[in-house]
Amino acid sequence: MTTYWPWWAGAVGLALVTVYYSLATDRSFGVSSAWDRVLHWRRERRLERMDEEFADNQALAEALAAATAEHFGTGPSAAQQVAHGQSWPHRADVHGQSWPQRADVEPPVSDAPTPTSVRPAPLVTQAALLVSIFLGGLIAAVTSGRFDLRLDMGPGFRSLVTADPTMMIVLLFTGGVLVGFGTRLAGGCSSGHGLNGCGRLSPVSIVATAVFFGTAAAVSFLLWKVF
Amino acid sequence: MRTRGAILLATVVTGLGLGFTVTNIGFGDYAELNRMFTFQDPRMLLSFGGAVVIIACVFALLRVRRTPGRIHAGVIPGAVLFGTGWAISGGCPAIPIIQVAGGYLPALVTIVGVVVGIRLCRWSNGRYFHLDRGSCGL
Repeated sequence: MTTYWPWWAGAVGLALVTVYYSLATDRSFGVSSAWDRVLHWRRERRLERMDEEFADNQALAEALAAATAEHFGTGPSAAQQVAHGQSWPHRADVHGQSWPQRADVEPPVSDAPTPTSVRPAPLVTQAALLVSIFLGGLIAAVTSGRFDLRLDMGPGFRSLVTADPTMMIVLLFTGGVLVGFGTRLAGGCSSGHGLNGCGRLSPVSIVATAVFFGTAAAVSFLLWKVF
Repeated sequence: MRTRGAILLATVVTGLGLGFTVTNIGFGDYAELNRMFTFQDPRMLLSFGGAVVIIACVFALLRVRRTPGRIHAGVIPGAVLFGTGWAISGGCPAIPIIQVAGGYLPALVTIVGVVVGIRLCRWSNGRYFHLDRGSCGL
């Protein structure tokens, strides 16, 4: 069994993954967001179909405007400007989470598309993200010799939290509910707020990361020293 | 505009890289996690903090602009709940997946809890809170 990576290797690895995804897709990733979208896949599919229909209508409007401009030998017509000026529909009322209109966001520093001015990644990619995290973890566990099928959470959990199997199930479930509820209420988790958001110096992500790290530290101290 | 296939490929590479890296750092190991949160061993904290510094520098060099974000009423209570759940179960939304991949079968219970929590948040927000919570990931 190999030891865990030194801190600098972990830092480089996490940064590479985050920067690569951002540059390759013009988006930022968040695992809790991926869970949320996959779990509500029916609604997400409906929204994707609406987006596709909207894109078709926009393409038709642009084609008509271009044909009109070519026929009359003029520049971009009012219709074309309207077609180009349209933003993606605001999804908050049907989506349950924000999807900012272009008018809501700050002007970009560069001309490159930004994570908030593009459509959400297709739903299938969010499911693929969760599956590939599992596969990446499996490869790492097997190649490092740490893979070990077991019915407990290891000696650390046994000594710090509980050794009782029933209590372990109760606490893991409760902890999971708090994680799921909390990340969605806060709008992100350690990957979305922590890596992507803090990396972009987003104030909301810096506040959220400070609070969830601080709370986790306080609870961990209680588990270590008090209980 | 990236094609659907290109985004899918990039996402798979990212997921594989994230799962591989996070497992090798030790985030799936409850004892290591507790040592990080209690500052007994700064290794994982430095990994996370170092990654944020590198990402911030690269994004600044590439002029990737700041994400506009509003600190809404759900951010702090949500982060408190998340931090509490993370310290108790040892899992943020990605970690139970790699724990199961590493053979920790009880982490399946954590995943069930995460699923219930996410659905509960969506339901209760629509019914009671009506917060525009935003989303860091797209």
